[in-house]
Amino acid sequence: MSHSEYPTEYDGIVKTVEMYIDGSKQGKSELMRPAFHPDASFFGYAGDQLASGTKFLFDWIDKNGPAPGIEPRVVSVDIVDSIAVVRLEVAGWSGQLAGSGVRMSDLFTLLKTPTGWKIIQKAFHWHAGG
Amino acid sequence: MPERNTPQKTLESWKQIAAFLDRSERTVRRWETREGLPVHRREHEKQDTVFAFKHELAAWSRARTRCPSVIERAEPLLAEPASNTYLTEHDAITRAMHRYIAGARAGDGDLMRPAFHPCATMSGYCQGVEYSGSIEHVFQWINQNGPAPNGMARFARIEIIESIAVVHLEVQRWSGKLAGADARASDVFTLLKWQGEWKITHKLFHWHDQMLPGAS
Repeated sequence: MSHSEYPTEYDGIVKTVEMYIDGSKQGKSELMRPAFHPDASFFGYAGDQLASGTKFLFDWIDKNGPAPGIEPRVVSVDIVDSIAVVRLEVAGWSGQLAGSGVRMSDLFTLLKTPTGWKIIQKAFHWHAGG
Repeated sequence: MPERNTPQKTLESWKQIAAFLDRSERTVRRWETREGLPVHRREHEKQDTVFAFKHELAAWSRARTRCPSVIERAEPLLAEPASNTYLTEHDAITRAMHRYIAGARAGDGDLMRPAFHPCATMSGYCQGVEYSGSIEHVFQWINQNGPAPNGMARFARIEIIESIAVVHLEVQRWSGKLAGADARASDVFTLLKWQGEWKITHKLFHWHDQMLPGAS
């Protein structure tokens, strides 16, 4: 990746992550589904339970409903040619399942595909006590 | 052929592990920190409550005999147990990663298997073709590739967020039947703390100097 390509790749990656953020905010998984690779995986603990599989994520987002007050921040974007890692911190999660004022840390790994950057895995940590 | 993990096949202490390998406790502890000896820790118990599966130790031992340089080039750090919680987690993650590195150098998929979550997946491009799917593909590739004794791995990043972590490895001088000679790879691993142990849930890789789809 040459120096001049970096901003383009960066913007492509952030655009993909923003689809996740929009879907979360509106409580509509259909908005975030195109951001995910068909083989994407999903891992993390919801309380003591290990949640896994993107189906779990999409169902959760739809059932949780709108979370208009979320405050997402991109903490890091690391790109190595065809692969990337994004750390996202989201404060102020709310909704039917989330409750209120919840803080979540997300690690997204992304793969560059012919149709753009796709999330290949989302790992999350749900911070107890917000 | 791995044996079943029946209780009889488990070693329950450093003393038993040392006796099984016919070495001192000090030596087997060093092998764990530096050479990826597969030792497990029980959840909710103090840090040094360990156990090991005989079949995993036997696989490690076979690979070590076949490919001794796996050992000599390994990380010279981690000689002493860490004094704080963050470093303890950090060390547990590097131990898991050393199992991967040891398996890659030895060309033995079973040697790295204990480092992975059972549902782990992989993704990346090889000669311009995307491979995404079960981590079993990685183990098969490693077995077919064979020994890569000169492979040199550097930790470019280890980031821990409570129950999840990301590790970026830069690997140089990768070799073997499939890797060719003097190849370079960047690997990004996502890990999850699962049943008290750090397990890799995803391996994302990039081979350098290979054709990419859509590359101009």
